[in-house]
Amino acid sequence: MTVDSSQRMELVTVVIDGRTYQFPKGMNLLEACQSVGVRIPFFCYHPGLSSPAVCRQCLVEIKGSPKPVPSCYTPVADKMEVTTDSPKVLDIRRQMLEFTLLNHPIDCPICDKAGECLLQRHYFDWDGKLARNEGSKVRKAKVVDLGKHIVLDQERCILCTRCIRVCNEVAKAPELTMAYRGSHEVLTTAPGHRLDNPYSLNTVDVCPVGALTSKDFRFSRRVWELLAVSSICPGCATGCSIEVHSSRGTIRRLVPRENPAVNRHWMCDEGRFEHKAVHTSRALLAAMGGKRARFEDALAEAARRLRAAVAADRGAVGVLFSYEASNEDTHALARLAGEILGIERRYGGGKAAGWSDEILVSADKNPNTRGVEGIAGGPLRGLDELRADVASGALQALLVLGNSTLALPEGKPATLVALTSHQGPLVDRATVSLPLATWAEVDGTFTNRQGHVQRIRTAVKAPGEVAPGWRLIDRLAGALGGAFGFASAEAVFAEAKGRYPFMKDAAWGPPLAPVHLRFGESRG
Amino acid sequence: MAEPPIATPPARRRVVFGEAEVSDYDELDGLPTESMPLQMGPSHPAMHGTVRITLDVEGEKIKTADIQIGYLHRCFEKESESATWTQIFPYTDRLNYVSPMLNNVGYALAVEKLLGIGDRIPERAQYIRVIVGEISRITDHLTCLGASAMELAAFTVYFYLIKAREWLWELLEEVSGARLTHSYVRIGGVVADLPEGWPAKLLAVLAKVRVAVADADQLLTRNKIFRDRMDGIGIIRQDEVAAWGLTGPVARSTGVAYDVRKDHPYLVYDRLDFDVPVGATGDNFDRYAVRLEEIMQSMRILEQALAKLPPGPILVDDPRLTLPAKRETYNTIEAMIAHFKLIMDGIHVPPGEVYSYTEGGNGELGFYLVSNGTGQPWKCRVRPPCFANLAVLNRVLPGLFIADVVPTFGMINMIGGECDR
Repeated sequence: MTVDSSQRMELVTVVIDGRTYQFPKGMNLLEACQSVGVRIPFFCYHPGLSSPAVCRQCLVEIKGSPKPVPSCYTPVADKMEVTTDSPKVLDIRRQMLEFTLLNHPIDCPICDKAGECLLQRHYFDWDGKLARNEGSKVRKAKVVDLGKHIVLDQERCILCTRCIRVCNEVAKAPELTMAYRGSHEVLTTAPGHRLDNPYSLNTVDVCPVGALTSKDFRFSRRVWELLAVSSICPGCATGCSIEVHSSRGTIRRLVPRENPAVNRHWMCDEGRFEHKAVHTSRALLAAMGGKRARFEDALAEAARRLRAAVAADRGAVGVLFSYEASNEDTHALARLAGEILGIERRYGGGKAAGWSDEILVSADKNPNTRGVEGIAGGPLRGLDELRADVASGALQALLVLGNSTLALPEGKPATLVALTSHQGPLVDRATVSLPLATWAEVDGTFTNRQGHVQRIRTAVKAPGEVAPGWRLIDRLAGALGGAFGFASAEAVFAEAKGRYPFMKDAAWGPPLAPVHLRFGESRG
Repeated sequence: MAEPPIATPPARRRVVFGEAEVSDYDELDGLPTESMPLQMGPSHPAMHGTVRITLDVEGEKIKTADIQIGYLHRCFEKESESATWTQIFPYTDRLNYVSPMLNNVGYALAVEKLLGIGDRIPERAQYIRVIVGEISRITDHLTCLGASAMELAAFTVYFYLIKAREWLWELLEEVSGARLTHSYVRIGGVVADLPEGWPAKLLAVLAKVRVAVADADQLLTRNKIFRDRMDGIGIIRQDEVAAWGLTGPVARSTGVAYDVRKDHPYLVYDRLDFDVPVGATGDNFDRYAVRLEEIMQSMRILEQALAKLPPGPILVDDPRLTLPAKRETYNTIEAMIAHFKLIMDGIHVPPGEVYSYTEGGNGELGFYLVSNGTGQPWKCRVRPPCFANLAVLNRVLPGLFIADVVPTFGMINMIGGECDR
């Protein structure tokens, strides 16, 4: 709950550990404590889900209450006096942790969650006592194939039910449940059913331990080797806020980042795999006619061919924008097309539309459609129109940004200059192709379907001769005799911000260094 | 205390070739000469490969001396910011590398002060720390005296003392597994108990060390050649001690009886009986004599500590501070988590800052630590005693002969690993 909204609400006075605070009426006591820096451990509570109060970790004492109460389940009330660190509360936490650990397997060395595990963290912070029992542990299934993306280790599960609530409340797909009782209680799906809703990987994120693991990520990296960079998912027009986790120059996973205005705490399963393309079938070097060429030669040839085409018939030269390109790349291309080449034929292309739902997924699978249309000044001619113009001969030369999968007939148009990121029909066919950076290798902004201009950040270093679109376009403009002199993506952004109304409130944001998920930055 | 007498150099005139008359020459200064820069080190055997002194000499006389350090800079303090609190112990071994145990102990005490667990360290661990620390002090002084004697051509003495040092290092190897880079101390205690029969071995070695030190004493202390190079050379006045921040044998040679073990007792030093030897004139010989006597005092401490050594644990019993036993780690999830967190995240030291100081081989060895609550120090700063001690050479050397640089530098006992960090 933000400070702004609380000021309009009725406030209640609460004493926490002897200090007096004011909170909006009805606020959850656990969140109230967190907001003033009082630490309370929890497993089952999650800010994006309802509170079942099953883990009993967040118990606190409230004056007048005969028993300790779960703070995640208790709204603040006026004149409430709360104690979070009395010997009794600390003892209860320790005893609950002892119960939780009773049947927990000794898996840390082989567990994917080790290093970002809430159980490890709470044990270390709040328990710190060695085992007292010497009995054997209850054995359960170690590898349960729950669904397309998820594997369950029932022994590691601490029965917090977060995953069940994610399915019920976020995905609206009640697929998971608890079965049996006591020490034999397990997480499971109904017989014959699978965990296959399009938001299933969120269960891995919310799992406080290593019970649910992603088939894609498991056993690939230890989490403390990862560097986290804040960015935006390029998978559709929704533009979920994400963190890109990489190690040694390779992206290992994408996880959602909290953004109340867009995706809250979640993202869809499809978006999780957007990083695969970054490391697959990349166009790494400049090429002419599909063959490797020196970058400088390719650049000069592209400029020569475009200049000749414009001189021959300006009306037969077109430019193809990409709905996957950032606002910065699009702005640079718009300037090149308008100011340097003076061409009017503007097309727009991107990934084909797909399925959608009412939760997060957009039918438009391009991250920046709204930004590209805003910069180009309205809807662009589509790819069908492009193909028709090529076939009819109305288009003799084409400058393409992105759109690696675009297939055009041999010889038409006569000049095809492509700034593109992946191998494919476009590179094979292009007169000149220059290697373009992907969303993960650049700084820039995407405009999502709601109109939020959101920052993407460099997560991994661009390979080979790969360069950001705005830089390639600036070099091309230079070869055509009119370099824009862009020093950085931020400079392009600043220029675009001044020109386009939809960007006027956009902010570049502070520089953020990649966060090493270890020590103080560990998520566990 | 009265100021000790200092030989004031006779008045001299600057003589430059071609500009002066023969009658200007100063008989006391010898032949006329002109000022000449002379580099001593870093590749000079007596500079130990780790320091350069740029001398401005006139003939054999030193006009100015510029001490240039840093040849052994390893970014120890910066490196520490990316290591866990425990991983820093091996780095401290390489500070004063002739007395690594003292650095281990000094660092551990600093972290323990920040953790507020100073009173929970088991008594046996405290005694063991005193024992290994005092052995290190002896090896430190043996090295200093032996090397200085060798640099003044007394090669025999060097072998007598270095042989004794080797006996002691063998004992420390038996305790820690490493001859020189022990990494033996841990936050909360020491990593392993003393081996079976080790105290008796130490007593036997101490008897042999006594003989070696007595031999060196006989060969040096009343040796005219040695005394001529030491007496009245490199005098440091008592009032300079505070001004230059001098500590250790260098400070004590001037008569200042400052010893952290006596003045701010730590571990169990307040339960042990020992004297703090002091000099009178603050010259090279006093520094030699102070060190010689400190070896004897350390042996006194060792004998008492061995006699008082109590049985009991050697590490704090707290899985959040010390690694659980391997048997526990492999068989219980609690110990496994503790082990994992201690190795991967390090000990969680509460936010705060601390300055903790102990008596190192060369004087007050201080650690200034800042924690932000994570498993790594936010800042780790060392006060190396020989950094301050070395600085005073800048004042002491001018007026001496070139040949005096070697014993004066030797008796300061600059250790590159510690000074340059």
